[in-house]
Amino acid sequence: MTSLFINDQEVEVAAGTSILEACRENGVDVPYFCYHPELSVAANCRMCLVEVEGWPKPAASCCTPVGEGMKVVTQTPGLEKDREMMMEYLLIHHPLDCPVCDQGGSCKLQDYTVEHGASKGRYSEPKRAVVNYELGPFVNTCMTRCIHCTRCVRFADEVAGTGDIGVLNRSDHMTIAGIVEEALESELSGNLPDICPVGALLDKPSHDVSRPWEMTRHQSTCTQCPNGCDIQIESRDDEVMRIQPVENSPEPWICDRGRYVYDAFRSEHRILAPKVRENGALVSVDWDDAFTKASELLKGKRVGILFSPDWSVEGQASIRLMRDTLFPDAHVAYDLHRRDMRPFAFEEGFSMTTAQIADSDQVVVLGSDLRQRLPLLMQRLRKRGLAGKPVSRIGAMNYRTNMDVTNDALIRPRDWPAVIAFAMEQVSALGKTAAGFDAWIAAVADRHEAGKILADALMADSCALLVGEEIRSHDDAAALINGLDLLMRACGHAEKDNDGRNLIPEGMNTQVLSSIYGDVRVSAGELFASASAGELDALILVGSDPIGDGLFPAAAKAALEKVPLIQVAAVSGQISKYAAVQLPAAAYAEIEGTFVNMEGRIRVATNPIKSLGQERPLWKVMMRMIQVMGGEVPAVNLTELRALACQSVPVLGGVCDGADRDAVMVAPARNKGLVTYPNAQKSKFNLDVVSRYSMYREGAWVRASEALTEAGKIHALGDVIVHPDTLIAHGLSEGENKVSSFLGESLYHIAVREDVSPGVLFVSKRGVAGDLSDVTEASISGGAV
Amino acid sequence: MTISSDPKQVKQICFDNINVPDMNTLAVAQKHGAYAFLSTVLKEFNPSKIIDEMKTSGLRGRGGAGFPTGLKWSFVPRNTGKPTYLLCNADEGEPGTFKDRDIMRFDPHLLIEGMIMAGFALDVKDAYIYVRGEFVHEVNVMNAAIKEAYAANLLGENILGSDYSMNLTVHRGAGAYVCGEETALIESLEGKPGRPRFKPPFPAIEGFYGCPTVVNNVETLATVPAILELGGDWHAAIGIPNNAGCKIFSVSGHVNKPGNYEVPMGTSLKTLIEDYCGGLQHGTVPKVIIPGGSSTPWLLGEHYDTPLTYDDLMKAGSFLGSGAIIVMDETADLVAFTRRLTHFYAHESCGQCTPCREGTGWLERVITRVENGQGTQEDVTVLGDAATHMAGRTICALAEGAAAPVLSLLKHFPEDVQACLGENA
Amino acid sequence: MSADAVYSQEARFSDERLSEIAELVKRYPGAQSALMPVLYMAQEDFGYISMDAQKMIAEVLGLRLMKVREVVTFYTMFKEQPTGKYLLEVCTNAGCMLNGANELVAHMCETLGIKQGETTADGLFTIAEVECAGACAGAPVVQVNNTYHEKVTAADMDALITKVRDGGAA
Ligand SMILES: Cc1cc2nc3c(=O)[nH]c(=O)nc-3n(C[C@H](O)[C@H](O)[C@H](O)COP(=O)(O)O)c2cc1C
Ligand code: SF4
Ligand code: FES
Repeated sequence: MTSLFINDQEVEVAAGTSILEACRENGVDVPYFCYHPELSVAANCRMCLVEVEGWPKPAASCCTPVGEGMKVVTQTPGLEKDREMMMEYLLIHHPLDCPVCDQGGSCKLQDYTVEHGASKGRYSEPKRAVVNYELGPFVNTCMTRCIHCTRCVRFADEVAGTGDIGVLNRSDHMTIAGIVEEALESELSGNLPDICPVGALLDKPSHDVSRPWEMTRHQSTCTQCPNGCDIQIESRDDEVMRIQPVENSPEPWICDRGRYVYDAFRSEHRILAPKVRENGALVSVDWDDAFTKASELLKGKRVGILFSPDWSVEGQASIRLMRDTLFPDAHVAYDLHRRDMRPFAFEEGFSMTTAQIADSDQVVVLGSDLRQRLPLLMQRLRKRGLAGKPVSRIGAMNYRTNMDVTNDALIRPRDWPAVIAFAMEQVSALGKTAAGFDAWIAAVADRHEAGKILADALMADSCALLVGEEIRSHDDAAALINGLDLLMRACGHAEKDNDGRNLIPEGMNTQVLSSIYGDVRVSAGELFASASAGELDALILVGSDPIGDGLFPAAAKAALEKVPLIQVAAVSGQISKYAAVQLPAAAYAEIEGTFVNMEGRIRVATNPIKSLGQERPLWKVMMRMIQVMGGEVPAVNLTELRALACQSVPVLGGVCDGADRDAVMVAPARNKGLVTYPNAQKSKFNLDVVSRYSMYREGAWVRASEALTEAGKIHALGDVIVHPDTLIAHGLSEGENKVSSFLGESLYHIAVREDVSPGVLFVSKRGVAGDLSDVTEASISGGAV
Repeated sequence: MTISSDPKQVKQICFDNINVPDMNTLAVAQKHGAYAFLSTVLKEFNPSKIIDEMKTSGLRGRGGAGFPTGLKWSFVPRNTGKPTYLLCNADEGEPGTFKDRDIMRFDPHLLIEGMIMAGFALDVKDAYIYVRGEFVHEVNVMNAAIKEAYAANLLGENILGSDYSMNLTVHRGAGAYVCGEETALIESLEGKPGRPRFKPPFPAIEGFYGCPTVVNNVETLATVPAILELGGDWHAAIGIPNNAGCKIFSVSGHVNKPGNYEVPMGTSLKTLIEDYCGGLQHGTVPKVIIPGGSSTPWLLGEHYDTPLTYDDLMKAGSFLGSGAIIVMDETADLVAFTRRLTHFYAHESCGQCTPCREGTGWLERVITRVENGQGTQEDVTVLGDAATHMAGRTICALAEGAAAPVLSLLKHFPEDVQACLGENA
Repeated sequence: MSADAVYSQEARFSDERLSEIAELVKRYPGAQSALMPVLYMAQEDFGYISMDAQKMIAEVLGLRLMKVREVVTFYTMFKEQPTGKYLLEVCTNAGCMLNGANELVAHMCETLGIKQGETTADGLFTIAEVECAGACAGAPVVQVNNTYHEKVTAADMDALITKVRDGGAA
């Protein structure tokens, strides 16, 4: 620690802190433009000058480290004059267009002009001319307003990792410019307008539609991925105008998916009134009629329930209460990506916080397109990479990360047992072993040397294992996860304070869901199979869209063709055409509720915006359904509902009662003592199918968003892609080819990419190839079907 | 070394052989003592002894800032596990400076020898000479000399059979004055725009590719062989205390014989100009003398007798800088001259610091208007304010250099400015 | 990783150049250090550094295109546009200004019928005012395609121009 005096006040800060940070920590205001707590220091705006006793010249506080006993003064007539001059320098080329500038009201330049500026600029020469540039669907530019603080450049380099914004020319011809083909190559691009201190980079979707002072703001949780970022929803007249990150929350940024999805809230895809199908068409009815119709279809029937994990915890609990009261035998599914329902040695959820992951000695990503799945975790890994810390990866594709991955191995999903067995042998050779190793190794015939990457990383003091979708959705996932669990135990990464086992979940609230639904949970695939087999009479789908999302679109279609569908949802999705009854539920911006993210972090959203139509919070719909069907209503308000939810998940109670929400974490489930060995492989087809995930397309909300749909077109790869060698091995070439799987044979356009593993067929769920997601294996050949 | 070991006799150090024909070839250079002492240094000296000698010598950096060279070298941390780099600053961009060019084109082996010795003292494996892009001929001469040195085992692996190995590479700049600033030079050598870095960290700790790095001027490094051969005490006895040694002064402007003259420190301005440079083109006393390159404040006729030392020039209100003396006699149009310099700084600002980026262009535009007879009294105030608040408030000293001529003009020749304002005054 | 570069066939280094570059890269701790020398090679081979050439260089050195653009636009000696066959760069900074450089430029402009920064219609000459060339003892200094000419008079320039126009080399 270093102690120093700021304006005669003695303060203590960590050694090496900058003067500016020391001031901020101690509530002393120092003006600045270029400094940003999440970015490297550039020290170019020169606004943050302070005086240090004994120094001949003012010092830029952002880049001057504190010294023991230093005496810093932040307000003197000399500094006032300097700041006034800095403002004058900055404004000589700046247009005087505040009244029409979107940044007006939240512009540092405007604020400081009031605070530090001279009454009148003395520059009378021509202003420089600057060109704007195209950055894609989310960011507008108005470069005459740029003050060259280079925050955006540092953001592109350090956070987005794309380096597509830079500084051209020099002197006062210097300009900030972007080089993009169609759009910024970043899934975090929406943060650029936020970090631009003036109105040079602007939010395109909200451009010219609102002014900061017209907005009301409330805090909520983004449910667009399991990271569950804190968000601030800005609305005007209950219309969401913007979504922004929340200052001082664990993540300083939010991703474009979470930020721009809000146009879906008011899209035509919203279900705003109860509807029933009459003569083939859905028609609006009142709530009572809708419930009557639902009741007719459901009463005394064998029912299957499928819901999406991103409802609030209260919503989830109410679904369970509805099931227990009305359909006590019903099977329930909520995960559209898990095929293997045997218990996992470590279930979905993180044992580490993302900050701990970023800090650990080694990070290994197994089979995940992390940048698409968890863009903010990816940016932490990128930052870690910039600091020279290793990140290794094994998987079916060298998914783009915008960082240099230290070790990279391409494998087919069927290679996982061989990878794990090889790693087991490697760590054993170094004296690390666990009970069960030998039997596990013995169950696997092959070895894959990618296991060396895993074994090497495991030898570190701390190792964060990020187990992704390629493993979680594997046919033999329980065995693979058991193998990984053994490895982690052997190497000391499964202990209480050093638990590196993180299984990336599909959506929000995972930990809570396995507690609430552990005993009645089945695979979505199984549920559809039962319906198709005539073992069910109806399906209740709550927010889930298994045709648009997940691994069972073909099975879902078959099931929905067979049995009637009661759809409870906020946004319609691709299943709506099957719905017999639609019951509108409120969107996440429109409810109060509790959310738990993949780390187990608990957030309570309050003060929601009003519903647009007749939709109600999910729990109310569920309670009403119970009532209409003659059940006993278990909870009549949120408090009662929470109390019931806390019976399954006790830690939630504390937070709802006001305990420090950041101190409480919901732990993921562990199943100790399981032994699940790999099954002998029996492949009928020679290629492994991996279903690609796109953050711009996955999820009913996202598909309802025009902004994200637009972005998805820009970032799209082909529908079906393979490594060029895979085609060569089959004597085929790029273009129309036949794909055979247990679904039958069809023709697809097959594209090639170097960065996918040979022997793997990548399918994108959108468009024609969607049904292929249902299969794990396929083969390709030429010729007609 | 052919220089006298009696400090009293020493007239010049770097330029000792500057007029020897074909001194750029290894054979001739060796005939005149080049590399003769190198083997002794590599085999008998140890790095800390060399650094001590350098400290004793009192040599101060010849690139501009005048920082003691031995002290700079002693800041380099040892055994960091990272390589240490030696970078020779041959960017020579300061208007009025043209001395490093002569060392490189006429006596390249002197610089190479100095760099090997410095590299040995600092445990450097890779050294670079950053030469301004326009010096194509000098780059070619340096490269030819380096090639010869490699062939003679003076560079490369196990130099002269010692344990020491060093590589030397010439790197060409591309027209950016600011790249002479040491951290900008490092950025440029890393293949980036030459935008200075703020300090700390200092290059000695974190420089080229984040590794410990020493940046020295050509003249500084070319002085090293004499110091090691003849001793730190020898060098300290030349010149005057705290201002040891000889210094090359590049004299230009209104003198009859402009050129580079190496003289012992402490020689007076007047002696240099009258005895070496053949006096002024017009008149007997200069109107303005800029003693250390265009970035240093102006001296007037009254300072004609000032001894050329770091201390005396500072006392007189300026700096020794790079030793580039620009002399102006009574015919000079000082407003036009200043305007030309503001153009230079506006063109050369790297653009990152607000006051420098915006201030340099602003100064140029205002003073151009003043020169054209369209200036107002407020313009004069603006010039003063804009220049004052640039200086000392930026990452590097370019802004200070940009302010210097404007502030000197306003301070010493307000009447010249007023005369331009004409009817708008 | 480089940007997805698409560039024409003209902006291609020869195989000799590519092996020269591979050697050059070894002299530095990082490949980006080779960028400036490689840009000079491109300028020598193609006359100027087109956007195509920049993309190609980004790919050769494994850099993002923006890194190349930043450097090309920062340094005045890298040309993104073709210049005349003879680039006449006159220093008009301190030492040269005090010794008649402005008058020399005016004379050259008049003789060639162009303004500073322009190229003659026959593509032979470009006049550029440049900053201090670091040869002030030889003021005024003119660089003709990287070769220094010192104490240049109007007559010297006229002679050079006439010689070139008559088909000689400068
Ligand atoms: C704008 C600017 C330009 C500079 N140009 C040069 C230069 O051309 N040559 C040089 O040796 N030093 C130059 N310097 C000084 C260097 O930053 C540095 O102090 C010097 O190279 C250190 O070497 P020395 O200690 O041997 O003098 C410049 C400094 C500034 C601020
Ligand atoms: S003072 Fe000028 S040249 Fe120096 S770093 Fe700042 S902007 Fe660049
Ligand atoms: S915040 Fe310190 S210079 Fe910009």
